[in-house]
Amino acid sequence: MGSPAPASIADCGVGGNVRRGAARSSAVHLVLGRPDDYCCAGVLARFLERGFPARLVTDPLAVPARFIWRLDNAGMETRLALDGTSPTTVSSVLVRDVGWLQTDGWDPSDHAYMQAETRAALLAWLESLPCPVINRTSAAIWYRHRMPLLAWLPLLRGAGLPTPEIVLTNDSADARNFGVQLEGNGAGGALCTPLTTDAAWLVSASDWTGLARLQELVPVCLSEPHGPVQSACIVGDRILWDRDPSSEVAGLAPNLLRFARTAGLTLLEVAVAATRRGPLVAVVEPHVRFDHFRACTRELILDALVDALAGESARVREVEEAST
Amino acid sequence: MILVAGGLADRVTELVCARLAERNYPYRLLDLGRYPNDHGITCRWRDGGPEGTITGPGWSLDLADITGVYVRFLGAEGRLPLANAAPETAELLRAEADAGLMAIFEDLACPVVNRAAGGMSNNSKPYQALLLRRAGLRVPPTLVTNDPEAAHAFHAAHGEVVYKSLSGIRSIVRRLGPQAISRLKHLRDGPAQFQAYVPGSNVRVHTVGNRIFAVRVRSDAVDYRYAHLDGLAVEMEPTVLPRSVEQACLAVARDLDLLFAGIDLKETPEGDWYCFEVNPCPGFLYYERNSGLPISAALADLLRGAGSTRARRHVMN
Repeated sequence: MGSPAPASIADCGVGGNVRRGAARSSAVHLVLGRPDDYCCAGVLARFLERGFPARLVTDPLAVPARFIWRLDNAGMETRLALDGTSPTTVSSVLVRDVGWLQTDGWDPSDHAYMQAETRAALLAWLESLPCPVINRTSAAIWYRHRMPLLAWLPLLRGAGLPTPEIVLTNDSADARNFGVQLEGNGAGGALCTPLTTDAAWLVSASDWTGLARLQELVPVCLSEPHGPVQSACIVGDRILWDRDPSSEVAGLAPNLLRFARTAGLTLLEVAVAATRRGPLVAVVEPHVRFDHFRACTRELILDALVDALAGESARVREVEEAST
Repeated sequence: MILVAGGLADRVTELVCARLAERNYPYRLLDLGRYPNDHGITCRWRDGGPEGTITGPGWSLDLADITGVYVRFLGAEGRLPLANAAPETAELLRAEADAGLMAIFEDLACPVVNRAAGGMSNNSKPYQALLLRRAGLRVPPTLVTNDPEAAHAFHAAHGEVVYKSLSGIRSIVRRLGPQAISRLKHLRDGPAQFQAYVPGSNVRVHTVGNRIFAVRVRSDAVDYRYAHLDGLAVEMEPTVLPRSVEQACLAVARDLDLLFAGIDLKETPEGDWYCFEVNPCPGFLYYERNSGLPISAALADLLRGAGSTRARRHVMN
């Protein structure tokens, strides 16, 4: 880890720090996602406010777009003509959501196949773009878009971050013992978090019988419940806390940045929970949920995103110009 | 103790178990055909990796005693119905149960063949081609497009062209003949992948830890795996790779965190080597039976902890 992490605390009125009106190129910043997504709409609006050409695209490979990705041993070429004729020079890409084919008119198996084909093409395209891409994920993350905290544990530990105690079990006695241990520590039960859905619920004293019935079918994942969390959004080398963090929580910043770098993520949401064992990382989410943040923090995140995309894009352009 | 997680009816898993038994390496079979029925998991993460036990019919295995894991997940067709669960619920429950196993295997310190994350690149062939090229392997000229004109131009430039899936689904290689050319207009519905046909002999490489097993495959079929469908023959024999190709194959497997990988190569009549893809869950039985190479024996040694291993690399980034 290098110098201490530049951190910002949401303070309505604090703005971004990229020079305004810096756009000189006809190249376009692409926002991949849906128009009704807060992040997409906000980033697009900021690009346009700052004078950067930008465009929101829901499905970059759908008609009329023409897409060419060519690789050989001499090099590679990618060309995307969104309007079907003139190639689009891409300055940066924010990947919020990639196109999901409409199911209309497709046989279900053909639809699944074409969806997989499109996602495979997009992953390769994003990986090969020379411009900034947020997030330019590995296949490991691209294909596992709902990753439970359990899946992040090795990387979190590797970054020196504390994590909650977690139990995975289909043994009802084992689950109950964990619950008793937590109750002994003053917790009101155990948090049950399925690994393949976003659901989570508190298993309290009266629920253990029901949980045991579920365990007859499948192992369940339990963890220590926690109180309010301190949410933060990492954008590049910045951490934007939603509220003023305690010094103990703020001290995790270098480790959080190390984690983000190791995971190859430029943008992610984390939440740190205060527990009797001290602060623990309770949430890791590359697809930032803006509704988890106060309005003023959301604005800061959007500013930071545009700073990162436009700033890095300018640096890439300078390098390209210097090398020609 | 070695843990094998797979289906009793799966011939590759059966071969692994047979080899372990033959070499007197103790193992337990977590039968994924029945799991999670008849199996127990009690696993806890405190400040480190997972601690606990996995149990099956008549056995219990402490995670700390596992020297290696071989896992080969099954599709729905290889699994028995779940007791007390409606069919539509059963699929969700199995996915949840498999996710739990993956989380445990992902975080074990011992060799795991293979961790799920490492295999994800197989879902995007062009993405994998980028990784192959970065590792120093030559890849065939490749085009991914939804533009019929670009496909026609690629065909005109390369003469002989094959097409295949971008993803891991319906992954059969076919020659771009007149009939397929007439359908290129449908590219506007979605992209496809085209590659210049590379003449020469196929070579299938299996990397097992730091060991390499190469098999030369002689067949006139475009995709020799399906040669029997065209009534064509397939012959195999062990072969030796140039040192640089060998090192690049090991580098790719290492970069993808794959302790066991099947890598498809081709040597042209001019002696150039091209790489096509990496399979993270190779069905190596076909190659072992036809070449006599001791792939499963090397795999058994690796799982026992006797084979050469290497430092774990996370592949999230």
